[in-house]
Amino acid sequence: MKIIVCLKQVPETNNVKIDPVTHNLQRNGISGVINSFDVNAIEAALELKDRYGAEVVALTMGPPDYEKTLRLAMAMGANEGVLLSSRGFAGADTLATATVLAAAVNKIGGADLILFGRQAVDADTGQVGPLVAEKLDLPQYTYVSKLNLSSDGQIDAVRMLDGGTVRVNGDLPAVATVRSELNEPRYATPRNIKLSFKKDIVVYDEKDLDLDDSEIGQAGSPTIVTKVYTPTATPKVTETLEGSAKEAAQNLLTKLSEKSIL
Amino acid sequence: MSEIWIYVENHFNRVDPSSLQLITKAKEIANGRQVTAVILEDHDQDFENTVKQYGPNQILLVKNDNLKNASDETITNVLVDLAQEQKPDTILFGATVTGRSLAPRIQGRLKTGLTADCLDLRFDDDLLVATKPSYGDNIMCEITCPKNKPQMATVRPNTFEAVVDGSSEPKINEVEVTVDVDPRVTVSDEQGSVSNTRSIGTAKRIIALGRGAQSESIIKKANELAGKIGAIVAVSRPLTDLPEFSHEQQIGQSGNTVAPDLIINLGISGAVQYVVGIQNAKTVVSVNTDPKAPIFDVSQYKYVGDAEAFLDGLIENV
Repeated sequence: MKIIVCLKQVPETNNVKIDPVTHNLQRNGISGVINSFDVNAIEAALELKDRYGAEVVALTMGPPDYEKTLRLAMAMGANEGVLLSSRGFAGADTLATATVLAAAVNKIGGADLILFGRQAVDADTGQVGPLVAEKLDLPQYTYVSKLNLSSDGQIDAVRMLDGGTVRVNGDLPAVATVRSELNEPRYATPRNIKLSFKKDIVVYDEKDLDLDDSEIGQAGSPTIVTKVYTPTATPKVTETLEGSAKEAAQNLLTKLSEKSIL
Repeated sequence: MSEIWIYVENHFNRVDPSSLQLITKAKEIANGRQVTAVILEDHDQDFENTVKQYGPNQILLVKNDNLKNASDETITNVLVDLAQEQKPDTILFGATVTGRSLAPRIQGRLKTGLTADCLDLRFDDDLLVATKPSYGDNIMCEITCPKNKPQMATVRPNTFEAVVDGSSEPKINEVEVTVDVDPRVTVSDEQGSVSNTRSIGTAKRIIALGRGAQSESIIKKANELAGKIGAIVAVSRPLTDLPEFSHEQQIGQSGNTVAPDLIINLGISGAVQYVVGIQNAKTVVSVNTDPKAPIFDVSQYKYVGDAEAFLDGLIENV
């Protein structure tokens, strides 16, 4: 059994600011960390490794320093790491990102299961998992809170809906995106951390993946960002409730009752 | 005529509110475009009766028993066939679990752009301009898809209000299509859960607790008041670490936007993403010990002082 886990590195904090002059995001000096939901995807893969001896490949697309996210996956127990890195990949939207990831999955020789975290905490799209499934013509099991694979090539999962759950099952190979409710990720062990630095990371660019320049990066991205800004709330006319807490509470109840709000 | 399609999602035999909200919003921005609600259902279902009350120009209806418990793959097959034949200008989905799973699959097959979890939509001439939050709602981006069609977006539930509109009877266009069922996947019946996510999104009254109101006694009293006034207790980010709460009760990040008639914020300072999450609340009351707390700027009523004493006052007098 072979499992590929797709990972994203995200800024350590969401507290990013916009440069007032250039209107670009000021991301300098903010270091990158693994997207938290992706850690649940690694754990899901490692549980299948523990159970079936599955081979686990960690895969990410980004600049060379994304290596540290792959090292973390290997320190947790992934067998190998593959980095998709090229200037040509820069500026990719979800479609262009999925094109590169799907090509990389094929280059690696495919897998029984391709795992993603449910979404990245920076852009919050959750689109790349289903897009990769579509590009590889595989069934998708998204937002799963339970996931079982059987040795005869079946997948059985529970998708968490907004107000309930639904069981989905079928044949492997498949793509799954996992929710944090699925598992409690393990910590890296000192032995695995040490081992992770002895392993080589394979790096592929668009030539290795046989991709055309028009399919990748900005050129392969149908969407463009036309404006970036910090949201401002519409201020409201504010009435101050005076007096003691008790008086203020009484005063509020009277006002809400007069307006039939309560 | 150029058309805006809205995919009508259903769960537990009901139309998802996000789809109705999108019909109202699409009509508001349509500017001559036709608003079409796309319904896929089996022969026992009649979602068109609900949908038509919200006044889309047209309902594109596919009735086929293979659509009962259809998988993402099967729904994609049907919607892609319809879209390739009828060439809508724009397709919108609720940014629900289902919408966020289907839309990218369809996007991939139609080789076009998709903007996720939008908080606003408008047309600049022919271009759909979708406003999308990033970095936990700290940053807003306007995104367009200038060269590919259809233009696609998923829109965060409860961002817009669904308004009944009986001014004209929508044309119902029932089409016969082959439903190409993906044999690789089996979907069982949906099971309702005690999850509070939906109830926060649709709650009419909310008591929200933040960092300044996380003691056990405040949580207990907040629940007591909630019981008395029919409210739901929600929290801001810091309190999701407490065992009583999870991200399901969290306002202001990754999808939980609320739109209650009344929200009482206790000990919440008002970080940007929280303020975005409550921007559709009608009446906002906030209590905080810090007179400069940003939450006060977006509140109709404020009290500077102790949240627990204020809660006591409410419980005693309500």
